[in-house]
Amino acid sequence: MRPISLVAVIITLLIALICQLFPWVGQGVILRPDFMLVVILYWLLRAPNLCNVGTAWIAGILVDLATGSLLGQHALSFTLTAYIGLSYQRRLVLFNPWQLAGYVFGLLIFERLLMLFLKLFEGNDYPGWTYFLPVFSGLILWQLMILMFGALTRPKTR
Amino acid sequence: MLKGVHQKLEPQQTPAFFVRGASPFSRMVFFCALSITMMAIDARLNYLSQIRQGFIAALHPLEMVANAPSNWVRDINRYFSVHNQLVQENYALKQQAFEHRVRLQRLSTIEAENTHLRSLLNGDIPIQPKAILGEISHTGRDPFSLVVVVNRGSQHNVKAGQAVADSKGVIGQITRVFPFSSEVTLITDKELSIPIQIERNQLRAIAFGEGNNTLDIPYLPANVDIKVGDKLVTSGIDGIYPAGLAVAKVTKILQNPESPFAKIISTPVAEVSNHLQLLILELPQAKESVPTTKPVEVKNKPVIEKKSADTSADTSSNSSAQPSSQTATPKNKAKPNAPN
Repeated sequence: MRPISLVAVIITLLIALICQLFPWVGQGVILRPDFMLVVILYWLLRAPNLCNVGTAWIAGILVDLATGSLLGQHALSFTLTAYIGLSYQRRLVLFNPWQLAGYVFGLLIFERLLMLFLKLFEGNDYPGWTYFLPVFSGLILWQLMILMFGALTRPKTR
Repeated sequence: MLKGVHQKLEPQQTPAFFVRGASPFSRMVFFCALSITMMAIDARLNYLSQIRQGFIAALHPLEMVANAPSNWVRDINRYFSVHNQLVQENYALKQQAFEHRVRLQRLSTIEAENTHLRSLLNGDIPIQPKAILGEISHTGRDPFSLVVVVNRGSQHNVKAGQAVADSKGVIGQITRVFPFSSEVTLITDKELSIPIQIERNQLRAIAFGEGNNTLDIPYLPANVDIKVGDKLVTSGIDGIYPAGLAVAKVTKILQNPESPFAKIISTPVAEVSNHLQLLILELPQAKESVPTTKPVEVKNKPVIEKKSADTSADTSSNSSAQPSSQTATPKNKAKPNAPN
């Protein structure tokens, strides 16, 4: 794993924010991945010295402000997801790519469920199963991040 | 001597292999508490709206960057639109303009007659609302709330609470205003209600958004005189929506033998998803000013005014069937199946 500079983290987060602000229409709104969450999770698991729970919170606040939802909703769900992600961070080196993908899938599902809970608490209706589609597009984005910035798992030496 | 070395080494003895500052757990607890506090403040108090506005203004350049690709695509499409198509469109528009002009002639005579009759009866002369033309810049990014964002903001004198319509009918109401953009909550949003009138028999009622592209008219008795296909128009007694704008068409009436109320479902006539231009109508000046800093209050406004109008002027038995204690608090809207 090559070392990561803080500049790369900040630039990718900025790009993720722009993608979040992109005017999605039609099916795109349903399918669009949670850019900020996937990027923040990647850096959190890849370079925990540069990115921690606090960074996830700031990313969540930015998403809250951008989407116009209740201030703190995304921040809360991002913080909790980041914490759970971090608690297994040192063991991820031993995972194979499939296990890692499963781990990230679990984290994304957890965040969606938490967000759904908060939204239902606020008084919204259950939006249907398509609400969970961003988890799958998020996994694709996750693989894209790995392609661009390197895998988390140990490379095969044999 | 040995002790001295030990003292020198002492600060290094804390393990420095994984420097992480505060432990993730304590950070998690701190930030969770912070976000829950912010949610509570944002939901109950209005201190954070200023911060939000400032942030949205700061985000404007980023938003322009994000919007650029789709704008380019649109411009390129416009540039390459076929000549034949333009000619056809021009022809159709000219025809439409001609028809409208003919109709407008009749309208002006009728309007003059109406003002004259009203002045004879010492009535108020209806005010013609002014409007600002806006363009939808994007739909809401939150799948839970039905909003669109338009490219007109406080710099263009847009205020929270203004009604928004397109050529077919009412779209919704401005709920948040930012310097260069503002948020329009659609009438189908669960938070919004709109005072309406059945065009056929002038029956007054309130329509509530259902959150799934339909409107619900609760608290009307099962034998109410509403048919499928009836047109709903704004009644204009709320002081926000001008009277007579088309709102929706009744599409379904469900009769539930266990409930004393009819379940009336209607679909909006405005076509939000079909075009970009919309009109932001000015608030009528005659009524008292609407608080601009509290969007939630503005949402509640039509209903409260409807209630007072009901108690003062309503003599028809049909529309007084609405339980007033429930209409006053649309936040905890009771479903028609659950009378108080």
